[in-house]
Amino acid sequence: MVLILALLLSACSAETDSEEDGDSSATEITLGFYSSGSADEKMKDLIAQFEKEHPDIKVKTQNAPYQQFFQKLDTQIAGGNEPDVWLSDGVFVLKYAERGAARDLTKWIEKDLNKDDYYGLDFNKGPDGKYWGVPQGIQIGALFYNKDMFDAAGVDYPDDTWTWEDLKEAGAKLTIDTSGKKAGESGFDANTVKQYGLTFFNITEGWMPVLKSYGGGVLGEDLRKSIIDSPENKEAVNYIVDGMERGIFTDPADLQAFQSPMSPFPSQTAAMRIGIYARALAANETGVNYDVTVLPKGPDGKRFSPVIANSWVISNNTSDKKAKAAWEWIKYWVSEDNVQKQWAELGEAVPVKKSVANSDLFLNSGDKPQNKQAFLDSFEFAGTLDVNAVWSEWVKQMGDNLNRAFLNEASVDEALETADKEVQKVQDEFYKK
Amino acid sequence: MQKNPNKKRKVLSYIIITISSLIMLTPFITAALNSLKSYVQYTAIPVEWIPDPVQWENYVEVWKMTDFAQYGWNSLVVTVLSVVGALFSCSLVGYAFARLEFRFKNSLFIMVLGTLMIPPVVMIIPQFIIFKNMGLLDTLVPLWILEWLAQPFGIFLMRQAFLAIPKEYEEAAKLDGCSPLQTYWRIFLPMCKPQLATLTIFTFMAKWNEIMAPVIYLSSQEKFTLPIGVLSMSGAWFGQEQYLVAAALMTLIPILIVFLFTEKFFVKGASSSGLK
Repeated sequence: MVLILALLLSACSAETDSEEDGDSSATEITLGFYSSGSADEKMKDLIAQFEKEHPDIKVKTQNAPYQQFFQKLDTQIAGGNEPDVWLSDGVFVLKYAERGAARDLTKWIEKDLNKDDYYGLDFNKGPDGKYWGVPQGIQIGALFYNKDMFDAAGVDYPDDTWTWEDLKEAGAKLTIDTSGKKAGESGFDANTVKQYGLTFFNITEGWMPVLKSYGGGVLGEDLRKSIIDSPENKEAVNYIVDGMERGIFTDPADLQAFQSPMSPFPSQTAAMRIGIYARALAANETGVNYDVTVLPKGPDGKRFSPVIANSWVISNNTSDKKAKAAWEWIKYWVSEDNVQKQWAELGEAVPVKKSVANSDLFLNSGDKPQNKQAFLDSFEFAGTLDVNAVWSEWVKQMGDNLNRAFLNEASVDEALETADKEVQKVQDEFYKK
Repeated sequence: MQKNPNKKRKVLSYIIITISSLIMLTPFITAALNSLKSYVQYTAIPVEWIPDPVQWENYVEVWKMTDFAQYGWNSLVVTVLSVVGALFSCSLVGYAFARLEFRFKNSLFIMVLGTLMIPPVVMIIPQFIIFKNMGLLDTLVPLWILEWLAQPFGIFLMRQAFLAIPKEYEEAAKLDGCSPLQTYWRIFLPMCKPQLATLTIFTFMAKWNEIMAPVIYLSSQEKFTLPIGVLSMSGAWFGQEQYLVAAALMTLIPILIVFLFTEKFFVKGASSSGLK
C-alpha cells in the first residue's frame, strides 16, 4: 500500500514539475470561472480562439457550480493555489481586494483601456479609487411587466414617469384573489392572492432599489458606516410593508410557497418584477408576453438601478509574467468586438463594451424584451449594492431584520434600529484591525 | 376468539405503515413528477401535480447537456475504491482494538473517537495543503485515499461487532494453529457480514453524494463526479430546473441498487443487536 502511494506521488509530482519548467516560451495560466450551464461551451470556445491568437499563452480552465466555485476559491486562496485569473461575482470583488487576494489593475486599465468605451468599469472601484477587476458582463435592474396582465386589467403599461406610488396603484388593479376580487375592492382577501402586482425578492431585486430611490441606503459613502436608521429608509420600508399587507407585493412567506422564489414572474403569477438582465432567460423560456422599462422614481424624483458587474480578477499571488498573460486574456475579452458579440448572443448579460451594447445585435436581437434600451438608459442612475469586503455578512443581518418587518414580526422602527446596530457591528469587526 | 383482535391490530398497523410511507415518499414522488414537466409546468402556480404532456425527453436532454456517463464513471471509481478501503481498513483496525492486547489501547481508542468531534470544515484547508504538496490536486486520489486510512465511525462499528463474538471462537482458532491475522480473516470477518453491509451502504452513500471534497480537489471538468456535474448544469441564472431534478433522480439509481443488494444483511444488522 505504502509502495503504491509512493509510486503514485512521485508520478504525479514529476508531471507537474515538467509542466512548469518544460516550455519556457509559452506561459500557462489557470483561468477559473463558475459554470453557467450551456454557456460553458461558449466560454471554452472563446478560450480556444484566444489561444489561437496568442500562441505564447496556454490557458488551463477550472470551473465549478456557482456556489461551490466560491467555496473552493476561498480554500484555494488559503492554500495559495488559486487560479491566476478568475471570474468573480461583482459583489465579491472588493472582498478579494481588501483581503489582499486580488491584484491592483489600475495602471493596466489606464494604459490599455479607454474608459469611455466601457460600461461598468467604475463599479469595481474601491473607495480608494483603485480598480480591482474588469467586468465580464453586467447585470443591471429594470422593471419587467407582463403585457397580457396589463391589457386584461385595462392598465396602461409602465413608463419612465412612474413613481413607486404609481406602481403600487397600478399593482392594486393587477392583484387578484382566488374569488376574482381585486386589491382594494371590498371582500378582497390578501391571504388568498392568486395574481400579485409585483414580486419582490431580497436585496437586488427587492428592497435595495426602493431604499435608494427614497434617498436611503445601507452604507455611507466610505462604505464603512451604516446609515440604515434614517427617515428615508423608514419611509421606503413602510411603503414596502404596506404593499405586502395589502397583498399587492409578495412577502417572504408567499415566496416560500413557490417552487423557486424566482418563479412568480416567468410562471405568470405576478404582473411585475424588479429584474436584472439575466431574468429575461427564464421569462423567455416560459414564453411570457412581457417588456421592460426603467425602474420607478422615488418621492423626490430620484431613481436607482442596482448593478452587479461580474468581473475578471487577477490573483495577487501569481508571478508578474503570468499576471501579464492573464491581462492579455482580460483585454481580449473586453476590447475585441468579436468576443463581446459572441458572448452577448447568449443573452446572459449586458455587454461591457458600449459599441456592442448599443449595436443592433444587442438591442434588436429579436428575443424579448423589446425595449432593451431601458437597460442601457438605466446606467445613468445605476449604483452598486453598497458592496464592500464584508458584503455577504451584512446583507444577511440586514435581510433578516427587514424580513421580520415584512412578516409583521417587528415594527419598521424596531427592525431598522436593530439592523443598523448589527450591520455596523459587522463593519467594525472587519475594519477595526 | 383470540384471532380476531390480533387481525384487527395487524390491519391497523398496516394502515399506519402505508400512510407513513406515503408521507415519506411524497417528496420523492413530487421530484419524479417534476422531472417530467416542462419549465412552464414546473413553475406553474398553483402547482400542477401531474405533468401533461409527460416530458420523457427531459432525461434524454440531460444526457445531451452534460457528460453524464463520464461523471458517473468518476463517481463509481471514487465510491468503489472508498468502499473497499473502508471495509479493509476499518475491519482491520477494529479487530485490533477489539481482540488484541497492546499498550495504550484504550487511550488510543478514545483518541480515535475524539476525532469524530472535529468538524470536517476545520480540516479542509490543512488537507488541501497536504494534497497540494503531494501533487494530488485535480486527481481522484484525495477523494478515496482517506477511506484506506480507517475512519473513526467505521472503526467503532467494526470494533463493536468483533467484541460481540464469544471468546471461544478465538481460542478454538488458536488451537487449530491460526495466527491473529488468519483468525481475523477466516473466522471473524465472515461472522460480521451485517456490519460490513452497513459500512458498505454508509460509505457508498456518503461518497456517492459527496460534494464538498470533489469541488475543492477537482478542477478539470472531465474529472468531475456526478454531484458537481449535476449542479454545473443549473448555471448561475436558472430557468431549467426540471433537468436538474431529472439528473438528480438518475444519480439515485445506483444507491437503490446497492441498498437492494445489501438489504438482507442490513436489516439483520439492525435487528441482531437486540438478540445478543
